[in-house]
Amino acid sequence: MKLSLKASQRLWTFAFLVVPLSVYFVVVIGPLLATAWLSLTSYTFSAFAPPEFAGLVNYERLTGDDYFHTSLKNTLIWMVAALILPTGGGLILALLLHGRVRGANVFKSLFYLPITISMIVIAQTWQWMYQPDWGLLNTLLKTIGVEKWKVFWLSTRGLALGAIIFAWSWQQVGLSMVIFLAGLTSLPGEMLEAAQIDGANYRQSLRRIVIPLLLPSSVVVIALAVINSLRSFDLVWVLNEGGSGSSTLAVQMYRETFKSLRAGYGSAVSMVLFAIAVIIIVFYFRRVRRLEHLYD
Amino acid sequence: MTELARAGVTVTERERAQSWSRRALHVALIALVVVYSVPTFGVLLSSVQRDREISRHGLWRIPDEITLENYERALGGTNVPNYLLNSVVVTVTATAVSIAFGVLTGYVFSRLAFRGSEILYLIVVAGLFFPPQIVIIPLQQLFSHTPINDTILVLIVVHVAFGLPITTMLLRNFFSTIPAALREAAIIDGANEGQILLRVMVPLMLPALAVLATLQFTWIWNDFLWPFILIKNDAARTIMAGIVLLKGPYDKAWGLQGALSVIASLPTLLIFLFFQRYFIRGLTFGAVKG
Repeated sequence: MKLSLKASQRLWTFAFLVVPLSVYFVVVIGPLLATAWLSLTSYTFSAFAPPEFAGLVNYERLTGDDYFHTSLKNTLIWMVAALILPTGGGLILALLLHGRVRGANVFKSLFYLPITISMIVIAQTWQWMYQPDWGLLNTLLKTIGVEKWKVFWLSTRGLALGAIIFAWSWQQVGLSMVIFLAGLTSLPGEMLEAAQIDGANYRQSLRRIVIPLLLPSSVVVIALAVINSLRSFDLVWVLNEGGSGSSTLAVQMYRETFKSLRAGYGSAVSMVLFAIAVIIIVFYFRRVRRLEHLYD
Repeated sequence: MTELARAGVTVTERERAQSWSRRALHVALIALVVVYSVPTFGVLLSSVQRDREISRHGLWRIPDEITLENYERALGGTNVPNYLLNSVVVTVTATAVSIAFGVLTGYVFSRLAFRGSEILYLIVVAGLFFPPQIVIIPLQQLFSHTPINDTILVLIVVHVAFGLPITTMLLRNFFSTIPAALREAAIIDGANEGQILLRVMVPLMLPALAVLATLQFTWIWNDFLWPFILIKNDAARTIMAGIVLLKGPYDKAWGLQGALSVIASLPTLLIFLFFQRYFIRGLTFGAVKG
């Protein structure tokens, strides 16, 4: 029997999708729904007490949990810092390196090399900077004669989170730079020259031509920065395990679940994380769609 | 005549001013990149010094003597070579499978759209934004009921699933750039969709596959969260989880930690050096178009 073209295409479509989508739904979507359910239970991994519906108990407890308040606040601080440090820094680097700078490619490579390195190694790298006895920062403070040079960067409240975010930004700046640079290469060189002939100075051409053209890349950079800041776990965990007021939602989720074995409560923290991610997804897709209309 | 001369003078003056500002920019950039590279340099420095040297004199100075002892120690035992081997197997397999899956799904979402396929596509791509933490508990429970629990197969499955959003998205966009006439001609010649994909499309997309391979290899190699949470058995541990584990018993073994960091970073650094072009194209994909 010969299948019609349409029927044959349907069959192939099914054959192509069935395995990849099954894996995706079993490993990602299913567990996501299961986490939502667990967040409504008081599950503790006990074999004798399977998860039972407990309503919004966990979420109520979240509202009164100081550690959660700190984690949420830190995650939001992290997101705001992500918009300033790596995003702004990447923009400046891209603008500096976009022109005909000698050796621009070498500079670019050195700035985005850290993106290819694991957060675990980045954490190691920054321990050599923050180590109290002989870390670079304290060595410098000692050398210039600061009396109280022994600063405990990673175990002082108020310093720890900033120190970790700084190390994170150091890695992420290359990513923003690369994306902004790609946006800039789409900028026709003649456009800038024409503007200059018309007497526009650097600041004017920046404001009227470069910045508007970088808008689509900015959306991507910002979305990436914010999403990556939601995931921040590895670096915090290795540098100080979320102590000294540097915990984030991702870290608290791990602590509640695997240290305190409160799987239900940890799931509620996860769902807060997920809610923030959803807000960003919605904002991102709407924004991207509007931009597409703009440039069509 | 004087007009022209004046014009000539202003041009050279402007050029001179420009070349000065350009030189200043150059010097500033060199200074910036040197400061930026200091942390990386510290790891290299620690990896070639003895621990007692570091605890006596500190790390940040020219070492009296350069030693490869830390590297010998790192690679000497059985743990680290085994962690590295696990990382290679997991990374290579998961990279290959996730890209193969992406080829299939990307092709369907681009060329074989059906009712509801747009929503299905959005569900897949939304996975790009999910923090992996939100599925950890159920996944761990799920795997504990399977025979592959606590083996590297678990890691491969997870990385394949979490790789699907990016591979699907990039490959769908790529398929959309291939002229529809190519596929129609093949259909007229009597080819089925499987043959079109393998014989017509795949040969055209080798650069796109290279882009994805560099990206996926880097993410998967560098991952820490999954082996940290899903693997308890030391024989199935990967290098990034291994480094963190080894930090415990060797708290003051700074040189060893430095050497381990360098060793663990070599594969992705080599990829970066040789396939930089592809890597960057992957990172910036969609950045221009949105």
